[in-house]
Amino acid sequence: MSSKREVFDQTSRLPIRPGLFIEHPDPSKGASLIGCRCRECGNTFFPKEEICPVCIKEGTLDEILLDGKGKLVSFTRVLRPIPGFDSPYALGCIELEAGPVLIAQLEDWQGLDLEMDMPVELVIGEIKRDKDGNTIIGPKFRPLTN
Amino acid sequence: MSAKVYVIGAGMTTFGAFPETEVHALAQQAVWEAINSAGVDPRRLEVCYAGHAYQGPCFGQKTLCRLGLTGMPVVNVENACASGGSAILGVSSMIKSGQADLGIALGGEKLTSPSGGFLPLVSDDLDSSMGRVMPAAFAMMARRHMEMFGTTIEQIAMVSIKNYNNGLLNPRCHMKRKITVEEVLNSPIIADPLTRLCCCPISDGAAAVILASEKVARQYTSKPVELVASVLNSGKRVRYNIINESSEMSIRAAKAAYEIAGLGPRDIDVCELHDPFSIAEIVHCEDLGFCGLGEGGPFVAEGRSALDGEVAVSPSGGLMAKGHPLGATGVAQVAEIFWQLRGEAGSRQVPGAKVGLAHTIGGGVSRIESGACSVQILKI
Repeated sequence: MSSKREVFDQTSRLPIRPGLFIEHPDPSKGASLIGCRCRECGNTFFPKEEICPVCIKEGTLDEILLDGKGKLVSFTRVLRPIPGFDSPYALGCIELEAGPVLIAQLEDWQGLDLEMDMPVELVIGEIKRDKDGNTIIGPKFRPLTN
Repeated sequence: MSAKVYVIGAGMTTFGAFPETEVHALAQQAVWEAINSAGVDPRRLEVCYAGHAYQGPCFGQKTLCRLGLTGMPVVNVENACASGGSAILGVSSMIKSGQADLGIALGGEKLTSPSGGFLPLVSDDLDSSMGRVMPAAFAMMARRHMEMFGTTIEQIAMVSIKNYNNGLLNPRCHMKRKITVEEVLNSPIIADPLTRLCCCPISDGAAAVILASEKVARQYTSKPVELVASVLNSGKRVRYNIINESSEMSIRAAKAAYEIAGLGPRDIDVCELHDPFSIAEIVHCEDLGFCGLGEGGPFVAEGRSALDGEVAVSPSGGLMAKGHPLGATGVAQVAEIFWQLRGEAGSRQVPGAKVGLAHTIGGGVSRIESGACSVQILKI
């Protein structure tokens, strides 16, 4: 990226939505997803809920940080261009070790033979660009090959 | 025993790309055909439910007033791809509860635009905003089904081939050509393993059916088709939600409908099944009980869901070939079953069909499997 762009680029790096993840100030420590766990049923949820959807009760949920370790339970490469998205991109359904399942884009997947049950780790990266040119960031998952 | 409800008339536009035609003009055609086919005086219609997903406020009223049909209660229904099925439930409930004897369920959608492309990603849904377009969801479902049950891409392609073949016999079908396995596999990849010919086209269109109480139905026709079950549900939080290798909400809706009808999957002669992507027919043939879990691939590939198979699945061409104008789909499915059971389906007629089932499912909602699922069972 040229320094010229840094000077004139007024666009920002914006989270896809608030309250989904935190990035540690020390990048080597990575990032965490913000979830919650119910004291009564013991279930863990991501994204964070206000009311436990299993107990259908309020006041039983504690916010917890999830380290984002998980495995691929399915995946696909989207080749058809989608406005705002950098195509092709890979999408995975990730089952976190902590329990929750989410759909998210994969990072550094090009050239890999993606497989079912492949372990993945959380990274925060570009999901898409909005119409003003801002970079929308959020949880993505990097397949681990060994 | 609650009151019986009958379908006494049906209409639909040809499905296709009509970028120059207003959606209300399309819907008007379907309504007029349904009214004429039932032979009812349109002034006697007491209620309308109108299904659509993206057509703006008061879609039903904007359609009906073009025909001079004003003043009746009109309920506009949005349940994504299950909007039409939901509209049928609405009218049927009004008749069952004795609030009306004669009503119309309408569905319409216009999806073509100069830019084409996928359905808009709704930014209020987390999965969608992360890039989970519908073809990607069904691609991930396909991959799980292939991994768990050994389903092959050739079996998935057979769904497209069968439904395109059926569509060739349906004058109202959008895609009208014969395709081969090689063509399906070699068409551009949309979301792997699904290619373009594993995905339904982007279509415009409308459909309408006239529903009546037993008393009124007998006044108009000697061949009323009974709507023996009309079930609607919404998704639950299930393990892998929309990408799971089976659809919990389809299983649940079908089970409830079979119970109400006092029938089972082996009684179904003809089925209009929700197949926006070809893998869906394989998965939902299992969900609806036409074959066992994991057997959907061979079931389709052996021709058991063909026009002359154990159960004729999507004789109209299905969403795959006929087209999928979202709000119109569920109503068009019931229209097709109506024609099939009355023996009015022309060269795609399933011989001797007595019992039919229509199934729709729709709406990407992150925390649950899907928005809505409807199952209707009809018999003559």
